[in-house]
Amino acid sequence: MWKHKIKYFLKGFFGSFKESSTEFIEFEERELENIFAVLLMGSYIGIPSPPTTILIRIMPHMVREIYVMQRRAIDMDDILGEMAGLMDIE
Amino acid sequence: MRDYFIPKEEFRVVFVVGKGGVGKTTSSASIASYLSTKGYKTLIVSLDPAHNLGDVFMIKLNDKPKEISKNLYALELDMEKLIRNYLKNLEESMKYMYRYLTVINLENYFEVLSYSPGIEEYATLEAVREILQKGDEWDIIVFDTPPTGLTLRVLALPKIAKIWTEKLIDIRKKILEKRFMIEKIHGERKFVIENKEYKLPSKEDEDAVLKELENYKKEIEFVLKTLTDEKKTTVVGVMNPEMLALYETERARDALQKFNIPLKLIVVNKVITIDLDLPQLKVKLDTQKQVLGEISEKFKGLDIIHIGMHEREPRGFDILKEFGVNIVERGD
Repeated sequence: MWKHKIKYFLKGFFGSFKESSTEFIEFEERELENIFAVLLMGSYIGIPSPPTTILIRIMPHMVREIYVMQRRAIDMDDILGEMAGLMDIE
Repeated sequence: MRDYFIPKEEFRVVFVVGKGGVGKTTSSASIASYLSTKGYKTLIVSLDPAHNLGDVFMIKLNDKPKEISKNLYALELDMEKLIRNYLKNLEESMKYMYRYLTVINLENYFEVLSYSPGIEEYATLEAVREILQKGDEWDIIVFDTPPTGLTLRVLALPKIAKIWTEKLIDIRKKILEKRFMIEKIHGERKFVIENKEYKLPSKEDEDAVLKELENYKKEIEFVLKTLTDEKKTTVVGVMNPEMLALYETERARDALQKFNIPLKLIVVNKVITIDLDLPQLKVKLDTQKQVLGEISEKFKGLDIIHIGMHEREPRGFDILKEFGVNIVERGD
């Protein structure tokens, strides 16, 4: 029984390390995805758009990026909070 | 025959450019008609949204190649249909993929897209690319273009599109790199939205976006290569002996030079050759004299030919092929 508990504890212990080890990369990934989507949808906010042909071809595969962009726009007012979270500042 | 009209590798592409109303359509139709009589299988394509190629041949044309005479085929691009088709596929796939989006009103987005700046140029470029990719069906392809401004923008597009594509590929590769790093630690990742699961692609060969971008880059490079290859592409500038036409042709030459697209021949159309001393014509004749003088100086190194006013209206294949002799074979 206790063996099981220790195993469970260690799993959680290392799991949290594993989780936090990629926090920064994930943040970077989301930012890049956001930028990628914003670049394509730039005409909405007044920055030059890439050729329409490119847009038309890749938009159907951009579900994730557009979703990230949308989340980003919603969380825009708490960007400092997100940064602080990443840096372990409470 | 002028060397740059002869197909050397697979096929020859001839672009006829010039200011509005100088006789581009008539010139391109003449060139195509004459070349077809020399045994070259020739296609003439009107890119001008305000088509009048059909009027010149006195035949109703559509967006499929229509046989005008032996070896000569003509078509007029249907711009509205192109743009409609262009957006239709996208709209369907997007509506399905992006059901969850409420922030961006997709219906509106598509409405806006069909009026988005540059869409006509892009549709034109896509059409040109498709014709060029099936170029080996023909010996010679003659493009009758819209007035200079629009044509130059279309010809500039491949270069611009290439720059954009390369930048987007860069960012995309970075995203995939990050995803790959995360995947290495956490295993394959799923992205769930609206109860639908997508696998997050992390490798370059499984990412649909990168694949589309790379395909597009290849296509655009093909167009660029064809347009800048002297063995394949020839640009013929048409102008009238007037000051404005001269200035515009000069600008066109500079722009073409910048894109490395080979301009070879200047056709000075509608040159008046009468000896009458008419006061009403004096200004025109004086300008003509001045322009003709300047042309030979400003366009050194290029072939220049003068075409006089025609005795008959240049319409219909039989007359056009005779006029074509003057452009393709010999000048003044």
